[in-house]
Amino acid sequence: MQKHILIVDDEVEIRDLLELFLSSQGYRVTTLEGADEALRVVHSDRPDLIISDLQLEESDGLAMIEKLKVTLPDTPVILLTGVLFDAQVFRETLSKKVSAYLMKTTPLAKIKAEVERLLAV
Amino acid sequence: MSPSVPDRTLRRVLIFFAAIAAVLVAAVVVAVRNINRAERGADWVNHTHAVILEIDGVLASTHASDSALRTFLMTNDPRDQAAGREALGALGEHLSIAKALTRDEPAQLTEVLRLETLANQRIDIMQRVLAASRTDQTEAVRTLTAADATTATVSEIRRAVEKLKAEEMALLAERDTAAYLQAQTTRWTVWLGVALDGLLLIGAAWLIRDDLRARRLAAAALAEANTRLELRVRERTADLVATNEKLAAENLEQRWAHQAAEHQLRYYQNVFNALNDLVFIVTKALNVSRVNPAVVTVTRREPSALIDQPLAQFVQLAGDPTGKLDPVARALREGRELRGQMASISDAHGRPVAVRLTLFPVRDRDKVVGGVVVLEVLAFDQTSTV
Repeated sequence: MQKHILIVDDEVEIRDLLELFLSSQGYRVTTLEGADEALRVVHSDRPDLIISDLQLEESDGLAMIEKLKVTLPDTPVILLTGVLFDAQVFRETLSKKVSAYLMKTTPLAKIKAEVERLLAV
Repeated sequence: MSPSVPDRTLRRVLIFFAAIAAVLVAAVVVAVRNINRAERGADWVNHTHAVILEIDGVLASTHASDSALRTFLMTNDPRDQAAGREALGALGEHLSIAKALTRDEPAQLTEVLRLETLANQRIDIMQRVLAASRTDQTEAVRTLTAADATTATVSEIRRAVEKLKAEEMALLAERDTAAYLQAQTTRWTVWLGVALDGLLLIGAAWLIRDDLRARRLAAAALAEANTRLELRVRERTADLVATNEKLAAENLEQRWAHQAAEHQLRYYQNVFNALNDLVFIVTKALNVSRVNPAVVTVTRREPSALIDQPLAQFVQLAGDPTGKLDPVARALREGRELRGQMASISDAHGRPVAVRLTLFPVRDRDKVVGGVVVLEVLAFDQTSTV
């Protein structure tokens, strides 16, 4: 059965490219623009993995992830953002909320490897 | 294989079958003609036997009439006389049939006519004897005895009959030999035709087998060529698909990298523009290469009036009599930060604004390539400068 990946990002280009890439790798992909929509959708169509931006149109990605974790406590989350975090900062703060942190400049091949790693668990 | 080869084989096979048909027709024609001849020969043999039968009948009737006459002369019994007449009648009938049978054979007809003459002489004597017998028996016997001595006797008729029979038998033997030879010819013709047809059939079969073998070889070669071609097409297609997938992946990766770079650039541009402090990006020679909007706001100078100009043209360090920002230049050359330096920046009207200057060297790996000069405005009366 195809694994379901939910992508939340306010930039349409990023959503489209990630959907195109992950679909070509055999995943079922749902793309959403905002946090409210995401919080609504996960109840009816539970994802196996969430990829989210940090800065969303009307919300904070980390805040949305906190709310999603209530419904999906075991679902891995990748934070895909343009904001550069120090490794120590990630370990001490972000790692409690997300499974992985990737810069938006990360090549697709590495994103794929991270997705496979998290879905294999 | 050339496309003309099957056609040539077909032509050759057709020629073979035409030859077989011709041989068959020739054998049939010869056989039918010989059968017709044999039929005609058989008719002639029957005809000869009929002639022999009839002349045998003449001899037998002669004997019978002669015997009946002699018996009648001794017994004077009318039944013997009637038997004699009946035998004479049969004698005439045999002679008539024999003449009819030999009317197309002059030599035989001559012999039959001679036999008829002898028989007629005999009949004449008998009739005379019978006539005499009605008056005087003795005279009749004498007359008969005299006739036997002077005219044709039964022995003479028998010799004539045997001669004629011998001739007919000789003809029969001749016809028999001819019939045998015809039958042999027919047999040889039929067997020769069968043998020839058999050879032609073997030839045609050999041709067909040869053609079939050639076709099988050609079909196998074609199938092998097709298999090789299909394999090459599959390999080539697989290569193309793999190349296409690789190109598509690379293309996607490039698009992703491009948008990521744009995104990052936009992000940092926004951060840079959002800073309230005045930020100058400078080269190692302390020339301005970039400013943030706060610089434009405070100095009332357009970026075009700032870019590529010496920083010292706008910024003065407190206590720097040279006015060339030497401490800043030195710190930048040495790659160290310079913090909290009191300074001023002049606006477009030459009015100074008090600021605190900080220098951050910019490194590309280990090499200092420029610096960021941040000016914290200490006192700026925006309304007075408007």
